[in-house]
Amino acid sequence: MPHSFRFLEDIALADIAFEAKGDSIEELFRGATQALLETLANPTSVGSAWTRWITKMDEDVASLLFEWLSELIYWKDAAGVVYHEAPLALTCENGKWMVVSTLVGAPVDRQIQELRNDVKGITKHLYEVKQHGEQWTARVVLDV
Amino acid sequence: MRLNTDMRVNRITDEVWEIPPSEKSGMLVPARIYATPAILQSMDRGVFDQVTNVACLPGIQRYALCMPDGHWGYGFPIGGVAAFDVRNGVISPGGVGYDVNCGMRLIRTDLSLEDVQPRLERLMTELFRNVPAGVGAGGLVKLNRASLESVMVKGARWCIEEGYGWHQDIGHIEEDGCLGGADPSKISDQAVGRGINQLGTLGSGNHYLEVQVVSNDRIFDPLTAAALGIIGQDQIVVMVHCGSRGFGHQVASDYLKLFEKAMRRYGISVKDQQLACAPFGSTEGQDYFAAMNCAANMAFANRQVITYQIRKAFAAVFGRSAEELGMELVYDVAHNIAKVERYPEGDLVVHRKGATRAFGPGHIELPTEFQQTGQPVICGGSMETGSYLLVGTDQASRDTFGSTMHGSGRTMSRAQAKKQVRGEQLQRQLQQRGILVKAVSMSGLAEEAGFAYKNISEVVETVDRAGITKKVAELRPIGNIKG
Repeated sequence: MPHSFRFLEDIALADIAFEAKGDSIEELFRGATQALLETLANPTSVGSAWTRWITKMDEDVASLLFEWLSELIYWKDAAGVVYHEAPLALTCENGKWMVVSTLVGAPVDRQIQELRNDVKGITKHLYEVKQHGEQWTARVVLDV
Repeated sequence: MRLNTDMRVNRITDEVWEIPPSEKSGMLVPARIYATPAILQSMDRGVFDQVTNVACLPGIQRYALCMPDGHWGYGFPIGGVAAFDVRNGVISPGGVGYDVNCGMRLIRTDLSLEDVQPRLERLMTELFRNVPAGVGAGGLVKLNRASLESVMVKGARWCIEEGYGWHQDIGHIEEDGCLGGADPSKISDQAVGRGINQLGTLGSGNHYLEVQVVSNDRIFDPLTAAALGIIGQDQIVVMVHCGSRGFGHQVASDYLKLFEKAMRRYGISVKDQQLACAPFGSTEGQDYFAAMNCAANMAFANRQVITYQIRKAFAAVFGRSAEELGMELVYDVAHNIAKVERYPEGDLVVHRKGATRAFGPGHIELPTEFQQTGQPVICGGSMETGSYLLVGTDQASRDTFGSTMHGSGRTMSRAQAKKQVRGEQLQRQLQQRGILVKAVSMSGLAEEAGFAYKNISEVVETVDRAGITKKVAELRPIGNIKG
């Protein structure tokens, strides 16, 4: 499987933590993105009436993942949406990493969507992105 | 006694325990934990590690404290209290928490359980419709940037000016619902973007709105209770727990990032990145304080607008105005905040994170109305157990920088709780016990099951016996709304 994630039970007593994995950094981003989307709402219950093109850049891949996930939280509040999907592409040029994505979702509607947790932010607590051979892993704690 | 730490923990009294500075390199003062032996044993390792990390921060006075509802948090433990000299101490967003001025509000009524029980389903439906809750829910008050900036500066006063409350509400809110020194120019565009649609929303996680009943046998101090409008006889009250929503979180995130860089400039090192801080008197420290006050005022306003919506819902269901129903505000307290207060050491910036101010009778900062009783303290339990109304004491001012507990405190992670019960199952079980729950998210409901929390009564007994607050009444839930 190119990417995966699992929720962690033994840390962040009052909040939510997950570990995402990927066969590449790009796949790691996809795994972490999916974990966040599924924390907010069941993506299959969310339509696609709202879209937003996003690009973010950073020299450090861990900082970029943090900023990218924070951007998803920002638009959740600013536009009042939850997400169906967030297909993304990650590139590296001249030492700068760039993530490009089109966020796809719909305004919050508790009648038709399976809503879950209102994540308020991504935290730096125990935050890490690391590589073991070909495998990339990220640990993320979400403040809810 | 087996504790989740290798550090030496000395007994001061049966409710107060101390970790001496010799137990960790860099500790400037001892760490003190308020707990019974049983609560101390149940505390997670994070409490001991984090409260001793706090004891290492520059300018800390007397003790780093943790209340009996303490558990692991970001930087500071939840339940953490620390005071820093305004001249040579620091301010830390990690000591305030991400949800700036998360707090509790209690509204009394003249209704009894007998009045409400037959209409409880309709009342909870009306409240669920009137008070937006859960992921991404927008508020019913539409703001533009200019009006949001007015909210940041005026707090609950803005709401009263705009008709979302009663003039007398103001005197029943900590700091009259408006902290001075708020400066909207210190707020990022991202924070504005997140906050502009959120006024009057409950949020999710452990935030809730609860309809509760006060029976005669659960009033511990009838005179004080009566002075606060609590008369028992199965009286109905309403409790609200929420804060500054995404707005406050963005303020905390923005300044944590700024402080990480500022610390290098000021030569400050901390044991945990989430304890990032800056000298209180520095430009960065003052900018954060001004921004935090904006977020705190937004939270006061948020709870005020929710109160307006609650009063409307009750009036619609019972066919009488909120005034006729006696829906006065008992009190509103912050439990995630930093404030400058005067103590024998001088002016100190007191951080309370998951801890409540608890000024005693006669305190100069309390309005006339609370001079005899002391400041009301509102502590929320889980939706399955009770909550408590308490009052502050002189001893809190002497021992804990005028601070006490804020709630029951978690003992189980959200993921573990969800493994033990499904939301729908919990909702049915609670209904059988006479507690009607409306929730936006069933998985979120399961995460808040009562077994995931400490026994609030034991936590309350600890602070009562320690003398830093006094029990007034226990409030039993009959209806709960969760995001």
